Amino acid sequence: MAPDRWQPVRNVLLEALLVAAAGIVLAFGANLVSPRGLVLTRNYFPAGISRPVPAATGAGSPRDSASTNLPAPSPAQMLAARLKEQGLQTVDGRQAAQLFHDLRFQQGSIAFIDARDEQQYRQGHIPGACEFDPYYPEKYLPTVLPVCQAAEQIVVYCNGGDCDDSESAAILLRDVGIANRKLFVYTGGLPEWITNGLPVEIGGRNSGNLRTTNK
Amino acid sequence: MAADTFAVLARWLLGAVFLYLGLNKALHPVEFLKLVRQYDLVQSSLLLNSIAAALPWFEIFCGLLLLAGVAVRGTAVMLIVMLVPFTVIVFRRALIIQSALAIPFCAVKFDCGCGTGEVFICRKLLENCLLILFSIWLLAGYGRKLCVRHTLMSCIAKTSLIKEGRSNGSI
Repeated sequence: MAPDRWQPVRNVLLEALLVAAAGIVLAFGANLVSPRGLVLTRNYFPAGISRPVPAATGAGSPRDSASTNLPAPSPAQMLAARLKEQGLQTVDGRQAAQLFHDLRFQQGSIAFIDARDEQQYRQGHIPGACEFDPYYPEKYLPTVLPVCQAAEQIVVYCNGGDCDDSESAAILLRDVGIANRKLFVYTGGLPEWITNGLPVEIGGRNSGNLRTTNK
Repeated sequence: MAADTFAVLARWLLGAVFLYLGLNKALHPVEFLKLVRQYDLVQSSLLLNSIAAALPWFEIFCGLLLLAGVAVRGTAVMLIVMLVPFTVIVFRRALIIQSALAIPFCAVKFDCGCGTGEVFICRKLLENCLLILFSIWLLAGYGRKLCVRHTLMSCIAKTSLIKEGRSNGSI
């Protein structure tokens, strides 16, 4: 009987299927036991999964507005439009600074919420801001929720530009019962705060380790 | 002889690259999730999460198989199955960015979610093509030296033949 010339191909494909099956099972298992693993059923992007903004840098110049009829909206403008769509209010750098210097901030009636990750928070945040990474809400909500419930105005920020983690954090806070009227997204975020020469706190909340950057 | 030695080195290199890239993503799953999201591939959060959760570990698994030399050709097929669509979607994304920023194609630089941070697109495409070529080379049967078990299926086939022979003999 002549040997089947397709047998080696079938063997390779079968081997690939075995690798795929074992790999998929191991991959989901590893994600499950990993302390940083993702929760598959969670919606990490409550504002929507679609994200048309190209998050990129080019070595050349940005889009030349003369080549088109309409100037391309900046990531910050697109974020502001999206926030409006979500029914969220925004504050600019001047308003954020005013709220920071307001006496009510010291009394707890105004709260700042940092929606960046732990590492970024430790490297520098708005003094007195609470850490709230919206991708790990179970870790931060127990601390953040009482602060937000006590506050009359809550300013949520992340890294400015096209960063939408502040938007996710604000929606998450709204979903757990914080009134929408209290929530404000600081669209410029920490980069703008630093550019404006305002102080940042290094390490944990109220560590007292302040650094002021010059304008 | 030299070709086979070079193929073993290619297998190790491919394995090490996938192990490194997979670990980079697995250690920062949220960052990888955000990067997968930028491609607008799926509209379901469950699917998006599944891709971001499983892909890094799957790459680690494939990297380990190649380094150890287990099921090399089957793993090479899986690498091609992953690399070709990745390369296409990264290329498409780069075209979108190029058109949005009106810059030369090779000046496009972005974090493609490949585990290496921001890279220039032409370099990334070249790297991917090289990895695909290495995978095809391994699929052709090269790089058999220093393998724990190069071909999984022959071992399974032999075992089933032995079992078949035994059951025939026992009747």
